[in-house]
Amino acid sequence: MGLYQVKNEQGSDPKSSSKIDDLIENEAEIIRLIKEDGKLLIDNGDGRDIHNIIQEDKLLSVEFNEVLKRFHDGETPEAPHEVVDEDKDDKYDSKEHHEKTIQAMSTLNHINNKEVIPPENFSHVVGEIYRSSFPRLENFSFLHERLKLKSILVLIPEEYPQENLSFLKLAGIKLYQVGMSGNKEPFVNIPSDLLTKALEIVLNPANQPILIHCNRGKHRTGCLIGCIRKLQNWSLTMIFDEYRRFAFPKARALDQQFIEMYDDDEIKRIASENNWLPLIW
Amino acid sequence: MKYIPPLNFSPVVSTDVSLYRSGYPMPLNYSFIKHQLHLKTIIYIGDKDTPLEEYQNFLKLEKIKYYHIFMDSSRDEGIQERMNQVLNLVLDVRNYPILVHSNKGKHRVGVVVGIIRKLLQGWSTAGIYQEYGLFSGGMKDGVDLEFITMFETNLKIPRNIIPGFAKHCLYLNELEAVEGSENESGSESILTAKQSL
Repeated sequence: MGLYQVKNEQGSDPKSSSKIDDLIENEAEIIRLIKEDGKLLIDNGDGRDIHNIIQEDKLLSVEFNEVLKRFHDGETPEAPHEVVDEDKDDKYDSKEHHEKTIQAMSTLNHINNKEVIPPENFSHVVGEIYRSSFPRLENFSFLHERLKLKSILVLIPEEYPQENLSFLKLAGIKLYQVGMSGNKEPFVNIPSDLLTKALEIVLNPANQPILIHCNRGKHRTGCLIGCIRKLQNWSLTMIFDEYRRFAFPKARALDQQFIEMYDDDEIKRIASENNWLPLIW
Repeated sequence: MKYIPPLNFSPVVSTDVSLYRSGYPMPLNYSFIKHQLHLKTIIYIGDKDTPLEEYQNFLKLEKIKYYHIFMDSSRDEGIQERMNQVLNLVLDVRNYPILVHSNKGKHRVGVVVGIIRKLLQGWSTAGIYQEYGLFSGGMKDGVDLEFITMFETNLKIPRNIIPGFAKHCLYLNELEAVEGSENESGSESILTAKQSL
């Protein structure tokens, strides 16, 4: 309810609608400019393309972003000159985690309270091994009542959030943390021995049903799942196909290289000593 | 010996019963299916009338029951009835393990899995859309998603053959509670899926 109200108020805000009117005028001006000189559309390197012109003009760029915002209703537009850090998804941000939780919980009143909400990027892996992004408050009933999790393996080095810890305690779910910082191309690699340690936790039936997650459930989790697939003797092509499906649109070559190069002798030895292989679907 | 799972292969349910999804299984994938999945039933959702000859032989050799449910897209006429047929198979615990496949394992299977997530498992719409997008490579077909969201049915399923994972079905549970007091031998549950807002 809260969210919808806010949106409506914005929509009827007289100030912003007059800005739109201004922009429509400005837009006509832009179109006229483009018609006059089609070259403006092309980035010819001298900075005289349409994006630069808009960004140079402070007033115009503010209004342009206003419209973009409306166009992408709800999405936050990136600041014009901000350098996009393609690795930023790797970092767990406790503030973001908390805000998203609050946001999701505030809309929950609409939803039939029997409905379950799986975490983003959730999927079954094999048997009772699951993968996902960082679970939040709204996902807890799904994890507890449906998956009946016994443990969670988290692959981030940061401290686990308090609200999640209290849930785990309440639900009697055991938390394992094997912190790794992800393949930051090209300088930081996942240490092989850490991955072996993580696999040892996952493969142990005593810990299953188990959920593996990092921040987005794309890269570190993807590497770990890839190594599980190796233990299942999958062809590399299909392992990478799956990796890319979940990492989309941010698949990393080095993650796939890691999967290919990962030496599974040690984990195979541990697993066969314990009769954990083959993994049962 | 490497196993090669079919395109877009993934487990859908792996708790009390095993349900898998994928694209069209090709000869390269047969050994994976045979040695890893031990299927009892395959449901093909698609437009190819006769299975490839190798495929027919494989199914026969492995004694896998094969059902072809025709589907071109979720815009098909009679799609409702066909989805009911799929649900009938999926809601019978005796058919498991089941593989549901289409050609690429993206859209048609995506619709079927979406309906299972919604009707039988009570997943949130956001979770269903996200999963659909995962397998379709980010392409969200509005008609498919709308079809999943709006899909309703009033199938009658004997209660004792409904697999455990589907017992969470919101609407089914309510009906069971009502019917339970009525007659123990009349073990029919009605699966209704009216979107309660």
